[in-house]
Amino acid sequence: MNSEMEFSDEDHGDSHRSLLTHMSCENDSDSEDTCTEILLPENSNSPETEDFVYKVLSVDQIVQHQRNIIDEVNNVLNLPPQVTRIILNHFKWDKESLFENYFESNPKDFFQRAHVLNPFEKKIERESAASTSCAIPQLCGICFCSCDELIGLGCGHNFCAACWKQYLANKTCSEGLANTIKCPAANCEILVDYISFLKLADDSEVVERYQQLITNTFVECNMLMRWCPAPNCSHAVKAVCAEPRAVLCKCGHEFCFACGENWHEPASCSSLKKWVKKCLEDSETSNWIAQNTKECPKCNVTIEKDGGCNHMVCKNPSCRYDFCWVCLGSWEPHGSSWYSCNRFDEEEAKQARLAQQKYRSSMARYLHYYNRYSNHMQSLKMENKLYSNIQAKMDDMQEEMSWIEVQFLRDAVDVLCQCRTTLMYSYVFAFYLMNNNQKIIFEDNQKDMEMATEKLSECLEREITVKNIYEVKQKVLDLSHYCQKRRHVLLCHVREGYENDWWEFKEETTT
Amino acid sequence: MAGSALRRLMAEYKQLTLDPPEGIVAGPISEDNFFEWEALIAGPEGTCFEGGVFPARLIFPTDYPLSPPKMKFTCDMFHPNIFADGRVCISILHAPGDDPMGYELSAERWSPVQSVEKILLSVVSMLAEPNDESGANVDAAIMWREQRDEFNAIARRLVRKTLGLPA
Repeated sequence: MNSEMEFSDEDHGDSHRSLLTHMSCENDSDSEDTCTEILLPENSNSPETEDFVYKVLSVDQIVQHQRNIIDEVNNVLNLPPQVTRIILNHFKWDKESLFENYFESNPKDFFQRAHVLNPFEKKIERESAASTSCAIPQLCGICFCSCDELIGLGCGHNFCAACWKQYLANKTCSEGLANTIKCPAANCEILVDYISFLKLADDSEVVERYQQLITNTFVECNMLMRWCPAPNCSHAVKAVCAEPRAVLCKCGHEFCFACGENWHEPASCSSLKKWVKKCLEDSETSNWIAQNTKECPKCNVTIEKDGGCNHMVCKNPSCRYDFCWVCLGSWEPHGSSWYSCNRFDEEEAKQARLAQQKYRSSMARYLHYYNRYSNHMQSLKMENKLYSNIQAKMDDMQEEMSWIEVQFLRDAVDVLCQCRTTLMYSYVFAFYLMNNNQKIIFEDNQKDMEMATEKLSECLEREITVKNIYEVKQKVLDLSHYCQKRRHVLLCHVREGYENDWWEFKEETTT
Repeated sequence: MAGSALRRLMAEYKQLTLDPPEGIVAGPISEDNFFEWEALIAGPEGTCFEGGVFPARLIFPTDYPLSPPKMKFTCDMFHPNIFADGRVCISILHAPGDDPMGYELSAERWSPVQSVEKILLSVVSMLAEPNDESGANVDAAIMWREQRDEFNAIARRLVRKTLGLPA
C-alpha cells in the first residue's frame, strides 16, 4: 500500500521528467521495498520465474535424451538396449524405481512383469526357434498359408514376414500403439522390441509413425516433460520439478507447465479446469460433453465412450486405469466380464438431483464472475487490433522521434495484455474462493488493478496522436508502470496466501 | 489388406467344411461375399438349450484377422451374455486392449491366431455356462441366477421356436 501511495505522488508531482531521471530518482529517494518493485519492468513476466529451471527441447533432442537414459541404465545393467527400452517404459522412465525393482526381485519375475523375455535365457530359446524354422514349410497361424520361414520374438510364436508386417502396420497406424504391441499369439504377453519392430515392419512410413509414437509416449509418461500445446509446435519443455509455473517455449507460446493451459496465475490449475468446463456447460457442445464424456477417476483425462462396453481403460499412456463407466469405480470388483454395472447407487441419483438445485441457485453468482471474466477475454482479443493500430502510430511518430523512443508504446500494450490476462484469471480464482478477510483484500487489489488497467487501455486507444506525443508519453509510461505494480501486488498477495494457507476453496459439485 | 483377409477366410472355410466340429455349421452366405457368414449352432446337450438350432450371422472386417468379426444371433435369444438385438458379448470377440493389471488373463481375448471355429466353440460353451456377473441382458442374468426354472422354460420355448414347432 505504502509504495503505491509514493508512486502516485510522483505521478502528480513531476510528470515532465524523462524516464531515466524518473527511475534514478526513485531509486535514490524511495524506501528499500519499492526498489525491488521499480526494477520489475525488466523482469516483467513473473517475478518468481527465475528459480524455476527448465529447458525447451526439439524432437531430435528428445530422442537423444531417451538414448542417454538408456545408456545410463545400461552402464549399470548391461542389457541389450532394446530390452532396456522396454523395461524403462514399464517403469515410466523412472531409473530409480527400475534399479530398485531390478535388484530386489528375482530376474525371472522382473522380466516377466515387464513383458520381455529374460535375456539371460535367450540363447536356449534361440536355438530351439532356429531348429523349428528350418527349411521345412510350416503353417503360419495368421494367414493359414504354408511358408518357408517363420519369424518370432523368441517366445516360440512364429509367423510369416507378410503377416508380421501387416500386424505391426495395423497396430501402429490404426490403433496408435508403439511400446505396447504384443506378440500376435493369443495370451502371449511378450512385447515387440524396438530392433524387432524395425526389422519386421519393413516400411518407412510405419517406422516413422512408430518413432513418433515412441517419442510421444516418452514425453507423456514423463512427469517432468510436457509438449508445447501451441499448434504446429513440436517442442517439449523439460523441467526439474512438476509445478504449476509459467514456461516460455521457443515458439513464443507461454503456458503452465503443470496443466498445459495458457499461463493462468492467480487461478490454480484445478480451478481453471473446473472453470473452463463450467463455462462450456452453457453451449450445445457442453451438453454433448456432459452426456458422452466422463473424467478418468484417476488422472482426470476427459474420456468419450464410443462403444457399448462399460469396461473402460484410460488411454492416457501414463495412467491406463481400468474402471467401470457406470459407477466410476475400479474395474477389479466387476469380475472378468464386459457387462453393465449393477452397483449403481440410488444415493447417487439423489445427490445428482440435489446438486442440480444448488446449481440453479448459484447461477446468478456464476454469471457475475463469468461476465467479468469474458469481458476481459473479449477485451484481450480486441487488444490484438490495438497492436496494429499502435504499430501504425509508431511508424508515424518516427518522423519526429527515433525508433528507440517510440518503443514505449508497444511495451505499454504488452503490459495491458498481461494485466488483462491476469484480471481474467483473477475472476476464476475469486469464483472458487471462500469469503474471508484475505478475500476482501484480494478484491480490493483486483479493483485497483482493474481501474488502472482500464485507464491505460483508454489512454492507449484514444489519446495518442502525433501532436501531443511528448505529454502522452509520460502519461503512458506512468500508467503502464502503475498497472504493472498493481499486478505485482495482486499476484504477490495471492502467492503469499497460497504459502500461508489463507485461501479456502469452494468444492463445487459438478452438474 | 482385403486380399489376405479373403485368403484367410477361404482357408478357414475349407478347414471347417473338411473337418467340422460337432454341432457347428458355418460358411459364407454367398460365395460372392466371403465377409458375411452364416452359422448354425446346436444347443449343447444337457442344457436348457439342448435340441435347438440357433442361426447367427458373422460380419468380418476387411482387416480380418487383425480385428475380430462381429457376431449376432438372427433368431430370438434370451441369455445373459446376448444383447436383446442378438449381439453376442464374449471376451474372444473383444480386441485385446491393454490389460496392465492382468486380471483378465483367464478370459481369452481376440488375437490374429483365433479363428471362426474357436469363436463358435466359445459361443457353445457360453450357451452351456452363462456368465451371470451382470450381463449384456440384465433381465436374463437375474432370472438365470434367481429363477432358474423360469429361465429354463423360456429357453425351451425358444428351442421349439427355432425348430418351427408350436410353443
